[in-house]
Formats: sequence, C-alpha cells, structure tokens
Amino acid sequence: MTNSMSKAVEVLKSFNPFVEEIDDREIKISLSNDKVISALDVLKSIGFSHLSLITCVDWIDDNQFELVYILFNWEDGGKILVSTRIDRSNPKFITVKELWPVARFYEREIHEFFGIEFEGNDDMRPLFLELWDEKPPMRKDFDPSKYSKEKFPDRKYEKDVIKEAKIFRGEING
Amino acid sequence: MGEVKLFFGPNHPGMHGNFSVHMYVEGDIVKRARPLPGFLHRGFEKLMERRYWLSNLALIPRICVPEPDINEACYAMGIEKIAKLDVPERAQWIRMIVLELARMANHLSAIGGVGGPIGLYTASHWGTADRDRILDIFEALTGARVYHMYIIPGGVRKNMTPQIEEMIWKVMDYIESRLDDYENLIFKNRILHSRLKGRLVLTREQALEMGVTGVGIRATGVEYDIRKVDPYLFYDKVEFEVPTATDADAFSRVYLKFKELSQSIKIIRQALEKMPQSDKVNVPISKGSALRHVVPKGMAYAHIESARGEFGFFVVSDGKNKPYRVAVRGASYPQGLYGIEKYLPGTRIEDVALWLATMDVCAPEIDR
Amino acid sequence: MKERTMWEQIADSLRSRSLWMLHYCTGCGAMELPPTMTARFDMERFGVAPMATPRQADIMLITGYLNTKTLRRVIYTYEQMADPKYVIGFGSCTINGGIYFDSYSTINRLDYYIPVDVYIAGCMPRPEAILEAFNYLMEKIRKGEADGWKRYKENYEWYKQNQIRSLGEVYVHDEFHE
Repeated sequence: MTNSMSKAVEVLKSFNPFVEEIDDREIKISLSNDKVISALDVLKSIGFSHLSLITCVDWIDDNQFELVYILFNWEDGGKILVSTRIDRSNPKFITVKELWPVARFYEREIHEFFGIEFEGNDDMRPLFLELWDEKPPMRKDFDPSKYSKEKFPDRKYEKDVIKEAKIFRGEING
Repeated sequence: MGEVKLFFGPNHPGMHGNFSVHMYVEGDIVKRARPLPGFLHRGFEKLMERRYWLSNLALIPRICVPEPDINEACYAMGIEKIAKLDVPERAQWIRMIVLELARMANHLSAIGGVGGPIGLYTASHWGTADRDRILDIFEALTGARVYHMYIIPGGVRKNMTPQIEEMIWKVMDYIESRLDDYENLIFKNRILHSRLKGRLVLTREQALEMGVTGVGIRATGVEYDIRKVDPYLFYDKVEFEVPTATDADAFSRVYLKFKELSQSIKIIRQALEKMPQSDKVNVPISKGSALRHVVPKGMAYAHIESARGEFGFFVVSDGKNKPYRVAVRGASYPQGLYGIEKYLPGTRIEDVALWLATMDVCAPEIDR
Repeated sequence: MKERTMWEQIADSLRSRSLWMLHYCTGCGAMELPPTMTARFDMERFGVAPMATPRQADIMLITGYLNTKTLRRVIYTYEQMADPKYVIGFGSCTINGGIYFDSYSTINRLDYYIPVDVYIAGCMPRPEAILEAFNYLMEKIRKGEADGWKRYKENYEWYKQNQIRSLGEVYVHDEFHE
C-alpha cells in the first residue's frame, strides 16, 4: 500500500469501511451508501483528486446495484475503488457532480444503461441510444440476442456453409 | 444578428470519426455547444458479458480503432491482477514494444489529423505514410495491420523473431531521421503557428477539474504520466522523459505528441536491448481448451497511459468462464463530452475541429 | 435488365472513370481510408477522390458496423445523394453483422435497408481490398450492372418498410431536428 492509501484508510476509519487489497497500489473500500459522498469528499481533499471512472455492476441475484467510483492519486499512483450497494428495485443515488463536474456524463451514462436515478443531476437525457424502447440494456435480465433477432433480420444463407466445411474436413459424412 | 443552429458532424470532412457537435453560433462565435455521441455505440460492455474470457480478445481491439493494442493490454492486465498470473519477462518487454509502437502510430495519425482541418496537407500525407511503416511491423509480428489480438492474458500470442527485431531497429532509425524534417517543415510552418498558437487554451485548473489526462494535462506544465506515476510492465526499468509545455494551447498539445515520438523510440530501443532471449512468451492459463478458462472471483481496475491519456478497464469476475462485467474508461471521455459543453462556448467555429483533433477525441471509445 | 442505349453505355463508361467518394466515416473501416487516399496506395490514380458533400458524391462507403443511430443518418445522406449513386459495404459487419451479430444496437444486414453494389469481406479490409472493390465497382458500372439506385426507387416501399421495422422512426426529431 502506498502512503496515501494507508492515510486514506486511516482517515476513513470512522466510516466503518470494509477494505480489500487488490494489488500493492490498488484497494477497494466498501461503504454503506449514506457515507459514500462524504467519504469521496474526504478522499478528494487528501489527494485522490482524479476521478477515473464511475461505473455500475448489476448483482441481479442479490437484487442490488453496486456503484463503483475509481479514484486515482497523481502523487504516488494509488488507486481506490470506492464501492457501495443500492437497492435494485428502486435504484436511486445522489450525484457527485459538485465534486467532479465530469461525473454528470458518467451518471447520465449509468442512468441510460442501468436506469439509476441520480438526485441533483437534472440532465438525464439519453446520450448514446436513440429512441430506445426496451429496459436499460446493461441490466442482466436484458437479452440483446433476442432483441437483435426481433429487430434486425439476419441474412439467410441458401447453403449451410458450416455443414459444408465440416464435410470438407471429413468430420461428418455428407 | 440572432443565434443560428449549426451541426458539426457526423457527416463532415473535418470530423474525426463518427461524432457530432450541435452548436448555436452568433457570427463566428460559438454560444452553446452540445456533444452528441452514440453513433458508434455497439454495446461492447454487454457483448463482453456474453462471450468467454478469451473470445473477448477478438472483440475488444475494436473499442479504440486508432490504437487497438491498449485495449488488449488493459484487459489482459486486469485479468492477470485478479487471477494473480505471472507473465514471462520477455512477454512483458514485447508488450511494451507493441504499446509504444501503437503510441507512435497514433501520434503520427494525430499529427496528420491536425493537418486536415487547418489545410496543411503535408502533415496528413507524411503522418499517414510514416504510420504505415509501423503498421508493416505489426503485420509482420501479428499478421494484421490494424486489429492485432496479440496481447493475451498471460503473455503474448507469439514470440518476436530476430528478423522482426531487425525490422523494428530499421524503422526506428528511419522515423528518427524524419523527425528533423517534421520539425522544420511542419512545426515551424506559419500556417500551423497562426492557426494553433494561443488557441483553445485549457489551463491547469480547468484540466484538473475536468479530469483530462495525457497531453491535455501535460501541456499545462505538470508531469502527469501514468507510466511514471503508476508504472506498469517494465516502464520503471527504462529511462525516458515526459515532455511538458507551459503554453497549454493547441499548438503545444500537438507539439508534445511530436516530442513523445522520440521518447517512444528511446523506450523501444532500450526494450530491444534489455529483452532476454527466451522461447517462453506466455503461460498456459487453463487446462485443456483456452475457452474453458475460468478467472477467480474478484474485481480489478487496470489502466495504462495511452496516446490520448488514461485508458482503463474495470473487470469484474464472479468465478465463471465469462466476465461478469467489464467497464471501459475511454481516455477522451472528459474532453469529448464535458469539455465540449463547457469550454467550446466562446471559441470560433473553425476551432471546434481543432478541439477534437488536438484533444484527441476518439469517438469509438466514448461510445463503445 | 433493360438493354442500354448507346448514349447510356457511353455515359456509364465515362462515369466509371471519375468516382467521387463521400467522406463520411461511419465505422472503424475508416481507419484504413487515409492510407488508401495518400501516397502509398493512392486511390486517385483510379479516379476516385474524396468529396465533402453528399450532393456531389457518387459512392457512399459504409465503413463497417452501423448502429441504429448512424443508420438514420446514413439513410438521410443516401437520399440526399444525386443519381446515379453506389454503395460499398465494408467488412463482415455489413454483410451479416460480423462479431456484432447479437448486439442490441447494430444492424445485421445492410442490403435490407439500402441497396448495396459491392461488399468487401474481412475485418478490417486492407487498402488493397478497398482498391480492388473500387475496380470491381467500375467494371460493374461499365457493364451497367451497378443498378442499386434504380432498385431503391423501384422497391422504395419495401426498403421503407424494413427501415421502419428496425428503426421505428427513420427521421428523428430532437432539439435540432424540429
């Protein structure tokens, strides 16, 4: 662990974090969701000022979404993954656009792909998809293959090329 | 005169890739701007969850077209972090060479890309022609010009033969001999100076607030380079400098890319010298078919310094033969979306293409 | 196919010598276009040159995968182009979806939405393949076989119906499209 990371763990003691070490320059800190924003604020003030990514993982079996904020320290190269879990059936969280203005776009993307609302971030227009008519596509229960089959017709081949190739290689008899 | 609505892209010769900026302009000055990405959205992150760990290697180079190797490297490094794989030393050096070659190819095409919007077509022609020599190395090494699928979890796909090493030495010598001409004909050119100097200034505070990495931040005078701050592969065992500038304008950003070319040549030469001779360039990651490869439970974030800045893969595994979730941090995400909305208002119309070119906005990695 | 008059044959033969290509990078195949355009492969020796506006272009390159958002713009652009117009589909993505066969946002078959004259196989096609495709297209034009634009007019209803089936709405209305 780098100096800044041990300092971060020290500072965050009062937040009851669950700390996992991934690498000698990367840790994951899991927090309950009411403490995340203040923890991010603290981390930003002690040097983890670069927000690399905000992303989301859909743990459908636990009925939860996991939000992950990846912070980076430009001074000694420490990375902290701040993670929290929110309820999947009514996903809502608070925006961090006051801390990092670029977060607006990450949150907009998460809203589009996972359907999570971010309170305080009012610009939630679709960014990547246009006229999307299904559930948010990155959710685990969305099946892209089925959607693709319904919407975008496949090419029909007159010959079964795979079968011909197999006959050619002598794997099956023609 | 009132405000006029104006499209810039997706169908526009000055546009880099398939991207769109919607603007309200008054005279020549941009009043409001709105990025409209998504024209290249293919749903990579979803598709990767549906394929085996190793089949994804065919998919991920397509995330960033000008510099595909960084995707493979980040993905492989993420898996190695979770699975605690030890990569053979020679493979690490080969990866470094490949990544630096890719960086050079990207910088050359970026110098060419700046030439287009300002009308200095020498830059486009030279950049593209010299980039092709690097693509020839890739073709000899991996069999493909653009999408290589060469770096795999646990090493690289094939060993580098002495003939290819010889070829790399030659191309490096050639490109180094060209650098003086670039400096004299392109970077001392008055067209380039009058169009780029003092334009599109992004100060250090703005860049840090926005989260810009790469040449965007180094042009403001700070030496922020992930190769130095958070060394991966063997970047801590080679000597190189991180060029910086203090003007923070469009010219210094392009010039830094040019400066980095000679640093990359230096790194490649050191790597070729220090690389141990061995036949072992990858470790078997699974018993039997590689498709049955299972990565243990865990998550990791691997990032590298691409030609455009911090590029990262966030990989989550639930202990099965397919990734549970892969998220990509595109290097040009901040400047391509937030930067356009915040910093383009106030500039002139013709500078919009320069923002996209000098900040290296790469549409496929924003859209994915 | 109808018999061409002598004038049409002459016109086709002249057309094939000077093709202007629309400069629209719809996908990743566009990465191989700069080498094709510049000194090493130099497509201009075949009379093919890039052109900025759809109104003056003859060829439209669909360089790779198309997602629904781009397809709408491609249809706009295709309909803006003046007759005769030709379409070249790059790579396996335009033929059958390629590696994006199960993607929720990319189409699987291009000639279902606009007529395609030449397909180039591979991902991504090399500059030599692109030049070969141009030559093949020229040959087709000379023989009068590149009649995609006619088919689009004759089967307009069918194409429109397919477009609507996949896209829902072909002409989008957002802040800028009022």
